[in-house]
Amino acid sequence: MPEIAAAGIVKRYGGLVANDGVTLSAERGEIHGVMGENGAGKTTLMNILFGMQAPDAGEIRLRGAAVRFRSQIDAMAAGLGMVHQSFKLFGSLTAWENIVYGAEPRRGPFVDRRAARARVAGLAARHRLAVDPDARVGDLSVGVRQRIEILKALHRDARILILDEPTAVLTPPERDALFEVLKSLAAEGRTVLLVTHKLHEATAITDRVTILRDGRTVATLRTADTGAAEIVRAMTGRSVNLEVRKRPRAPGVPLLRAIDVTIASPSGRPAVDRVSLTVRGGEIVGIAGVAGNGQSELVEALVGLRKPDHGRVELCGRDVTDADVPARRAAGLAYIPEDRAAVGSAPSASAADNLAMGFHRAPPLARGLFVDPAAFAAWALALIRRYAIRIANERVAVGTLSGGNLQKIVVARELAHEAPALIAEQPTRGLDVGATETIHERLVAERDSGRAVLLVSAELGEILALSDRVLVMFEGRILADLPQERADEQSVGLLMAGRGTEPG
Amino acid sequence: MSPIDRTPPRLDRLRIPPVALAAGFAALAGAALILVSGHDPLSAYAEIVRGSLSPESLPDTLAWATPLVGMTLAAALPLRGGMVNLGGDGQLVIGGLVAALAPLVLAGPGPFGAAAGLALAALGGGLYAALAAWGEVRHGVPMLISSLLLSYPAVGVTSYLARFPLRDVATGLPQTLMVPLDARLPVLTGALNAGSLLIAAIALAVVVFDRRTSAGYELRMRGKNARFAGYGGVRLGRQAVGTMFASGAIAGLVGATLVLGSQFRFIDGALLTPAYTWSGLMAALLVGGEPVGAILAALFFAALQTGGFAMQRETSVPRVLTLVLQAIVILFLAMRQGIGRRT
Repeated sequence: MPEIAAAGIVKRYGGLVANDGVTLSAERGEIHGVMGENGAGKTTLMNILFGMQAPDAGEIRLRGAAVRFRSQIDAMAAGLGMVHQSFKLFGSLTAWENIVYGAEPRRGPFVDRRAARARVAGLAARHRLAVDPDARVGDLSVGVRQRIEILKALHRDARILILDEPTAVLTPPERDALFEVLKSLAAEGRTVLLVTHKLHEATAITDRVTILRDGRTVATLRTADTGAAEIVRAMTGRSVNLEVRKRPRAPGVPLLRAIDVTIASPSGRPAVDRVSLTVRGGEIVGIAGVAGNGQSELVEALVGLRKPDHGRVELCGRDVTDADVPARRAAGLAYIPEDRAAVGSAPSASAADNLAMGFHRAPPLARGLFVDPAAFAAWALALIRRYAIRIANERVAVGTLSGGNLQKIVVARELAHEAPALIAEQPTRGLDVGATETIHERLVAERDSGRAVLLVSAELGEILALSDRVLVMFEGRILADLPQERADEQSVGLLMAGRGTEPG
Repeated sequence: MSPIDRTPPRLDRLRIPPVALAAGFAALAGAALILVSGHDPLSAYAEIVRGSLSPESLPDTLAWATPLVGMTLAAALPLRGGMVNLGGDGQLVIGGLVAALAPLVLAGPGPFGAAAGLALAALGGGLYAALAAWGEVRHGVPMLISSLLLSYPAVGVTSYLARFPLRDVATGLPQTLMVPLDARLPVLTGALNAGSLLIAAIALAVVVFDRRTSAGYELRMRGKNARFAGYGGVRLGRQAVGTMFASGAIAGLVGATLVLGSQFRFIDGALLTPAYTWSGLMAALLVGGEPVGAILAALFFAALQTGGFAMQRETSVPRVLTLVLQAIVILFLAMRQGIGRRT
């Protein structure tokens, strides 16, 4: 009897069918991959399994018994745990407080702090999830926060653990450590549902994978008997070229420069420490590094959202250090931000409104002080078609779109500026193979047409595949500047962890 | 090519609009209240409708609605961009006092006094509101707090001026001298004067601004996600100051139309007693600052209030009932829109 089984799950959002009769079944002690492109319905399915959304039709069975969760509280009580893509933690509380929250050991009406700490320390040791129970969560790295999320589920003794894209924010060593933990959890009889779009992860640790496409289950495959190509074909309905093809580079004049940029941080050590970099027309410069090593602050200084404490920024040969965002955009900068929902879009606004930002003061979208709604719609429809964005029409609020489609909205708008310099920050985080391929092609096309592209990514594979030069950032400093030929996973991976072998 | 376009019409689309539903529930609850108090709900409601919408009472309703719609617009405009102007009272009295004094101080022929009064009232109210925005942009004082706190000194100082240095000593009341006859707003019919036309024009301008201008688009995007607007190239500081100036200018104009159109002098407290600022804020909050909805809500409240007077006169059901109805309508609307709103 399967530990958890879903049959005929249907979920509609307005006109969009996110899940259209999905079937999934996982055994006790199994690591079960859930794969599919963006918008295939993976996250929707997981939210339904975890009780966060009610299905319009279909049935969930736990160990053979039909269940109906009214909320995630029901699901947790039934032995499910979920680690979301964006963590749900209290930054100002300690690790142990976060872990026991909602299920605190009590002594009378009070939280039994000593018992709680001891339990957390015990769980952490037993599952080899290194966490300092007393550390403030806000000070911890993403990798540690993820361990806290897992411990939160284990504290409630979750029998079924759902992880939604858990490796997106991890370094290769952190990822390997996570996989060891997942294997040992499965070995003690827990069931792991691992949502991922990365092939090598699926082949490395899952027992079986269920593949979704367009809201339907297209296959459930035994991983050991399945080749990577077969999985990709099932996911996309076609074969995908995972190689990035680039013309030989012909770098032109410097279009984007940072000179000696320093940004202080409250912790004392500067967030960005005397960083200088140059991106020429016709090249992609990649900044590799584990998230939180100053990349975000550096990018904010480059785009004008933050003033550096020291140093200069030049754009197309002009000093723009004191220019604000609109002035820099006018001078020739486009920017794909790291957080597509909080910065890159207004989720409750329509696709037409989201795609118009930055084009809304000039013809064809505007005439004088007035905007033309028909031109807004036509502009949006043209971009939606060009980027094959899955959306019912241009009036739909973009917050209802899947991550990949929302990212396409952001990318479509920023590339439409045809600005000489482009900064792309984590442009494919959480995206599937197909969407990643599209965005990579676009970035390379930008480079080939002579624009300067600065790519910031925690995804090492992406950096290595796309960049003509690779900069490695660690603790606010650039540790190395490597041409593509000399950058490989081994050397860059070590530099990302701060172990510099490169002399200069 | 996309398979998603062909969705069948869904039951959701046939839903009763939330405003009608809320009004319906409120009417039922009100009817129950009237029954319990021993009166006839049908005749009470008939009086409310007759007393607000019949040809002879409609001008009264519109006259009552004019300042309410004006203050609703003053609240709705910043709200559209996610900002709250709690200082409407202060901007209102500044506008009123400036409008009362301008025709007395600036000598000029006929309508010049009225025009100068209106223009200076808008300028005064606008600058005062912009001060609150400047405080937030430059010094990080939250506008919610600064706009409200700036309101108190404005109310206090105008009250002092009307009571002491500028008082019309002939009347013994805390009020300024009468505005000369030719500086008053022309009467249209009954209680209606040209001030209503002015507010109607402003209402139209705000709706056009919101729906059809680049700046209106930027303000709407700010309201939906200010970080997105800033990232997209909107100058947020300038926008905040400009929006608050416009909001304060509308509030100042409302004060000026009341003074030049019906009160003919600045009377201490007369502009604030009806609490236009707060009714307007409520109407605007109900629809998240969307101008057309806000104007309709303000008109509805105005009709309810004037109808209430008629009902009290004719049926002895106290007019407080209409305030109960208004509160219930708001509660139901808030449930539909505010609570449990999906992103």
